[in-house]
Amino acid sequence: MSHSRNQKWREVGVLISLIVMGLIMVSPLIWTVMLSLKSNGELLRSTTNAFHPPYTGENYAAIMANSGVFRWLLNSAFVSILQTLGVLILSSLAGYGFARLEFPYRNQLFLIVLFGLAIPEQAVIITRHQMFADLHLHNTYPGLILPGLAAPFGVFLMTQYFKAIPKELDEAAMLDNASRFKIFWKVLLPLTLPAQATLGIFTFLASWNDYWWPLISATRADMFTLTVGIASSQINFAQTSGLGYLMTQAVFASLPILIVYAIFQKYIVRAVAGAAVR
Amino acid sequence: MKTLVSILIMALAISACSPKDERTHITVQRIFGECRANVPRDQAPLRNPDGECEILTGLIDRFERENPDIDLTVNIVAWPGYDQLSAQYAAGDPPDVVSIHMSSMPDYQSRGLIVPLTAELAQDGVSAKAFTPAARQGITIKNELYGLPFDNWTPLWHINTGLFARAGLMKDGEPILPHTPEELLAQARQFKAATGKPYFVQSMINERAAYTRNLYTYLMNQKAVFFEDPKHIRLNTPEARRIVALFKQIYDENLTTKDQDYSSATQGFMNGQGGVYLVGTWMIGAYEAEANTPGQPLYKSYAVKPYPMLFGAERAAYVDGHAWVVSNRERSLKQDEAVRRFLKFLYDHNYDWSRTGHLPTVQAVAQSSQYLSLPHRRDIVALSEIGRTLPSEVQRQFAIQDIIGDELFSAIAGHKPIEQALTDAETRTNDLLFHLL
Amino acid sequence: MLSAKAKTQFGNFLFVAPYLFVFAWLLVWPLMSGMGLSLFKADLFGGATFVGFENYARLMSDPVFLQAVGNTFLFVLLCVPPLAIIPLLLALLLNRSTRTAAFFRGVFFSSSVLSVTIVTLIWRMVLIPDGGFVANILAVFGLPPIPFFSDPGIVMGSMAIITVWWCLGLPMMLYLSALQQVPQDIYEAAALDNSRWWTTLTRITLPSISRTVVLVVIMQCVLQFQLFGQPQLITQGGPNGASRPIVLFIFEVGFRRWDIGYAAAASQILFAIILLVTLGQYLLSRKRTGDA
Repeated sequence: MSHSRNQKWREVGVLISLIVMGLIMVSPLIWTVMLSLKSNGELLRSTTNAFHPPYTGENYAAIMANSGVFRWLLNSAFVSILQTLGVLILSSLAGYGFARLEFPYRNQLFLIVLFGLAIPEQAVIITRHQMFADLHLHNTYPGLILPGLAAPFGVFLMTQYFKAIPKELDEAAMLDNASRFKIFWKVLLPLTLPAQATLGIFTFLASWNDYWWPLISATRADMFTLTVGIASSQINFAQTSGLGYLMTQAVFASLPILIVYAIFQKYIVRAVAGAAVR
Repeated sequence: MKTLVSILIMALAISACSPKDERTHITVQRIFGECRANVPRDQAPLRNPDGECEILTGLIDRFERENPDIDLTVNIVAWPGYDQLSAQYAAGDPPDVVSIHMSSMPDYQSRGLIVPLTAELAQDGVSAKAFTPAARQGITIKNELYGLPFDNWTPLWHINTGLFARAGLMKDGEPILPHTPEELLAQARQFKAATGKPYFVQSMINERAAYTRNLYTYLMNQKAVFFEDPKHIRLNTPEARRIVALFKQIYDENLTTKDQDYSSATQGFMNGQGGVYLVGTWMIGAYEAEANTPGQPLYKSYAVKPYPMLFGAERAAYVDGHAWVVSNRERSLKQDEAVRRFLKFLYDHNYDWSRTGHLPTVQAVAQSSQYLSLPHRRDIVALSEIGRTLPSEVQRQFAIQDIIGDELFSAIAGHKPIEQALTDAETRTNDLLFHLL
Repeated sequence: MLSAKAKTQFGNFLFVAPYLFVFAWLLVWPLMSGMGLSLFKADLFGGATFVGFENYARLMSDPVFLQAVGNTFLFVLLCVPPLAIIPLLLALLLNRSTRTAAFFRGVFFSSSVLSVTIVTLIWRMVLIPDGGFVANILAVFGLPPIPFFSDPGIVMGSMAIITVWWCLGLPMMLYLSALQQVPQDIYEAAALDNSRWWTTLTRITLPSISRTVVLVVIMQCVLQFQLFGQPQLITQGGPNGASRPIVLFIFEVGFRRWDIGYAAAASQILFAIILLVTLGQYLLSRKRTGDA
């Protein structure tokens, strides 16, 4: 009796602390949305009036009036989706290979990939730019998509995840004489859905918000991604005169990610009792 | 997912198609942002008619209307645009015409990436003499004009005359400005005692360049030669120490706002937080609008002046400016002709651009009653005469500006002794210049 | 003539081959060229002169670079522990299939969708001593504002707060997907044993997700060693160089000064640092958990 009451109080305590932390997390976001609904002139005078009317849709109208913005939205969507698909495919195959299959120098190769995790973008960006210039890949979609495929994080994540799956599962399948690919595809891959979803969300997110590489690779306005295009619309160097507009751009650019999150996230936590690996 | 991708591919394919035409094609790259919402095609700007973006968008629209045989691709890039421009040069695909700062021209000129325009401009009857001294100096490298100067800009003293009046610092409707460092300190103290507010509004947190520009101006004011040659700077000098000591004194006595970044300083001056805001020509329009809005703290209380000369009679000011340069790349004769027509068009519309608050670069415009009847322009027009850029062969001026500003802030805020900071600034700058290939 | 075993092994290798190709082409090769570049005095457009290890010697005596190295380590120390622990707690609390949990997962993920430009813009307004959100709250209690961005002793702490807020999402999701893998019957057994929450956590949950804890710590180290946008956009590395991390140094040297040989050398040092730290952690964790 007292045990369950304790538990109830604990639940309430947890809920309250979640609400407090949650408020800290989202209040800046709410602020962003409110600021996006204010006129730029008013914000130039003060930014503390975000929670008082008048509100206006002029910033959203301004975004829609920019002839480039839908093109950039398409570019970003295309690049991010293909990059995400590419990373998921390459990482799952490699993760399975490194976690389960025998081949020469397997551990050494995995260690080298692990080394790759430590390569900062800045150590490769200039030489990669030169290389892509020689291959005439700048201002093309492959030029934007390819660099993201090399990131070792996905391989590392999937390898760890495949390793955590009990070996008995594929051994059982092995007895049924199934091929490696079939085991991978039919037996193991479905079990990695939570990791796939996590990796998918974050690859998409990183690709969508990437700034430096698209900035120096896609230099023609019709090849801009949304981040670069939006930055180029900024009137003023110190972001003073168009704060409301800037916040509108933030809201506008974040919406597609939230949609992707909503699609993927249900795979991350499924009904806890039913879906866990047994 | 598959269908989504194929829809995207189709949409991209459709939008990539465009009808072929016989027009001459050139590419123009610019900063200043995107504001199509305020500037419907073929109409006057709806909002913010004196904004940089609005004026330039309107001008380029007009050029396209007046030159139907030229097909202009306008590439708008994020400020300051150099990462993209350098990447484009590195990839061998630069725009034909591009807007850059005069202070960056030596970087591109020294590598042969931009072409001299003296002969080109002469074909349209434009010679160096047509430009104001400040503009002419900013675009001349080794006796050649390397760009079409579009404007000069410089920091100014933006003054809240309402607060000045309360501090007894107005005479005949004009603000009383100091002539010596001692006068400045005395007036600033008087201001603070009377109003309870700091004399200066300054952006301290992320606008390092502001200190450097202050330093340049007051070094020029003392006739100090700090670049004896383009590869060496001299900063640990009595002249420089005097300037830094003054700004440090102001900081120590709380005669300036502290802990503000660019946005909050801009906002703070607008809300009457202090007497003088040290910021560039580009803010004139926004503050003038406040001065004409009843009920605002700056209502009928705004004036703007060049930096008062504190260290002697030499009238001088550090200026920079925007210029249009032409890339060194293959072009047909027709394309060269189109580029020339574009430059001539911008030259002819120098007045329109000067409405932004920046100084005009065409001498005839600077002297015109049309320009001088714009608000406050009589007070600042002298800067197009006395303004000076750094010696035209000094490379990496942006990086140098940041290094010096970095060290100056350390000195002013007391993280380092003044001598030490100036020595460090000198060493770091010279190290940078020494390692240029 | 391949033996059956070799054939199998070749087939096995095909699983990893596509990735390895992309990896070698787009990451390893540019890295190697970068290492080559670091031995030259090179300008973005002005050719190159071979100088051997001069760039490295220059770095070792460049006080600005050395300060940047110190700043970076300080930032990682401030930032990584909270980024390993707070998301773990959140994941433990939110690992259930109720609507409330789903809602809160969304809440804690939401900050991750923002780009660095917006994150810094918002936090600037929250922390700026002049009229910022925190300063206003402190003023209510009669307290002076905290100079979050202009005191060299505080500025990296401010960067860490911003970064933790921004980056919570990824580790939380990684923990959540790992918790999904823990077999439910272990918990049921523990519940029968009437084990306390803490005991369950330390005896069952944490050991089961140890791989993910390692992954999160390594990932966060790698990411946070590359701090760049936050100080670049808020303080430009000031005051007095106290918020200039290595990547900002590389950016200033490479992109603003076009001294790309020197920038390449600094990148290699950053690479070496990250490599040592991550590899150290990885090997240490393997030793501890004792698997291959």
